[in-house]
Amino acid sequence: MTEPTAPQRGALVRVIAGREISVKLHDKGFIASTIVFLVVIVAAVAIPALIGGGTPEYRVGVAPGAEQVVDAAAGLGALPADERPPGVPEAQVDSVPVEEPQAALESDDSLTAVVSVDGDQATIYGRDGVPEELRALITTAGAQATIARVSGEAGLTDAQLDGLLAPPVPDVVLTDPGPDHAVPPELLVLVFGFLFYFAVLTFGMSIAQSVVEEKQSRVVELLVAAVPMRWMLAGKVAGNTVLAIAQVALIVGAGLVGAALTGSSDVVSQALGASGWFLAFFLGGFLMLACLWAVAGSLASRIEDLQSTTLYMQLAVMIPFFSAIFITDDGWLQRVLSYFPLTAPLLMPARMLHGNAAPWEPWAALAIVLATAVVLIGVGARLYSGSVLNTSKRTSLVAAWRAGSGA
Amino acid sequence: MSDSSQLSVSGLTHSFGDRRVLDDVTFDVRPGRLTGFVGANGAGKTTTMRSIVGVLKPDAGTVTFGGEPLSLAVRRRIGYMPEERGLYPKMKVHEQLVFLGRVLGVDRDVAATRATALLKDFGLGDRADDVLHTLSLGNQQRVQVAAALIHEPRILVLDEPFSGLDPIAMDTMAARLQESAAQGVPVLFSSHQLELVEKLCDDLVLINRGAVVAAGDAAALQEERAGRRYRVQVAAAPEWTPAGAGFEVASRDARGVLVDLDETADTQDLLAQAQRAGAVEHFGRVVPTLAELFQEVAR
Repeated sequence: MTEPTAPQRGALVRVIAGREISVKLHDKGFIASTIVFLVVIVAAVAIPALIGGGTPEYRVGVAPGAEQVVDAAAGLGALPADERPPGVPEAQVDSVPVEEPQAALESDDSLTAVVSVDGDQATIYGRDGVPEELRALITTAGAQATIARVSGEAGLTDAQLDGLLAPPVPDVVLTDPGPDHAVPPELLVLVFGFLFYFAVLTFGMSIAQSVVEEKQSRVVELLVAAVPMRWMLAGKVAGNTVLAIAQVALIVGAGLVGAALTGSSDVVSQALGASGWFLAFFLGGFLMLACLWAVAGSLASRIEDLQSTTLYMQLAVMIPFFSAIFITDDGWLQRVLSYFPLTAPLLMPARMLHGNAAPWEPWAALAIVLATAVVLIGVGARLYSGSVLNTSKRTSLVAAWRAGSGA
Repeated sequence: MSDSSQLSVSGLTHSFGDRRVLDDVTFDVRPGRLTGFVGANGAGKTTTMRSIVGVLKPDAGTVTFGGEPLSLAVRRRIGYMPEERGLYPKMKVHEQLVFLGRVLGVDRDVAATRATALLKDFGLGDRADDVLHTLSLGNQQRVQVAAALIHEPRILVLDEPFSGLDPIAMDTMAARLQESAAQGVPVLFSSHQLELVEKLCDDLVLINRGAVVAAGDAAALQEERAGRRYRVQVAAAPEWTPAGAGFEVASRDARGVLVDLDETADTQDLLAQAQRAGAVEHFGRVVPTLAELFQEVAR
């Protein structure tokens, strides 16, 4: 007979986390919701790209005499981004010779517009409108043609003409530059915030259910005396955290890959570059809130009770979520809330993103968040132990706390 | 077997609100013996067992194993079958046993081998990969037994292990319990099937209204409670009746006459009278069955 041994915490947490993951991966509902989200994300990225993304293309009818202007417009639209003069859009202009503008528009549906030039005056014929980009290109090309003609008559050299056509772009010097962004930081905060609370709300409920499961099925009687509840709850939190992070990574990954494939690579690199602290706080904040949900589960005896025990938890998550979105001023309130455990996961990285926090600050806030997680696990374990024998009704907080004194 | 594996319950007292459910409950569960725990519904059996395994913290009293209070390490080596049963309904049978074994510190491979062997033993070898709630209640019960044995427990505490089992599974269960006892494991189990308890148990604990009314060696207990009732069979004289103030005939049937003796009556006088009536075919003290004992204490 082997000697009894004390439980190995790490191994215990792994075994319990492993069961959580295995159960979830066999859960058709979980698989289905993940697939639905992936489809939604891919669609959200791909559909706008298919509809409107990329360089606009125009087939432009060229009336006799308008060749020079349209060719110049096509040349301007095809310039690389850094050589294009300010205000000139990127576009692909294909020219098609036509005789009479209005007749051509009526007979050829593929034409976006027809351009004719009379002297210096260009005219753009469209059906119910002319695209903004095309109008800008023709305008610029027409102006350049006029300038070229007038300066030729005035006897200017080619170098002088180039100076006129491409005046130097002003340099911009900032005395207090913010970080460079392709996407506004507020939007990034909003996206991360939404992802965070989406993950917390869906997985939080599943953690609470999983904590109740042992009580409802009475497995708890086998476990409560033999397994320290603290480690059991930690295992459940760990398993669900791994799954949540994996699911979110999958969804975000799909979105980023989609964005990169459809040509928004600058957005991708900004999101990846800025997301370091968001990810760290995502993990820490998720762990902490998962523990809060474990406490909610500890108070319920049956799945049906969760509705009421988790109500306050949902409020405790939603209120900080909105405050994090609305409190954007770098004032004392934001500073304080960026250390408060519930709001820190969003506000501290937001402050980092705006360059408003000292390098040591996120570490301190993260430590506070993680310490809160540890405390919550302890509270949950005690409440859980205290409510184990109470199978009939929802346990009151006070009663469970008293009864759980031994945990 | 030394006393280092003796499970002792001492002075367990517990109340739910104003209702005292355990009152100074004290008994031993000796290693290598099957101890039957008998009492009416609500007598305190389940509360006592929950106190032993640590699910419930009693108001007072101690539980020791080998003279030491139960540490977490020892509690993890208790094989416990709770009254309310409890397994994961949506988990596969074998997977579930392996999980419970691993939670209780058994290596995965060892747990897998044992789970397979236990399921085969209980006739569930072909249901290993079925989800628990698809099994009949009786079969779920067998899985529950297997769950209590998966970590080779050093102490067995089983609340109504035989209820819901068919006769074949009952035999398997009994054999398993005896096997564990033979390895020096103290085995405590409760049951309402008194004939079974009488047949299986070496020791008995009778509990009534939260108090132990009798505990110890089963045969000795029955002997002790026997009183002074004798069965006398005189073949040639079925109507024979003993004479004298101390003798009272309780009943009479084909197997003879039952005589209650008061404190003054002499058994040798009774025997002598019977012999004078004819050849005595049976003369003996009547030992109460467990059922009779139970009736007596539960009254």
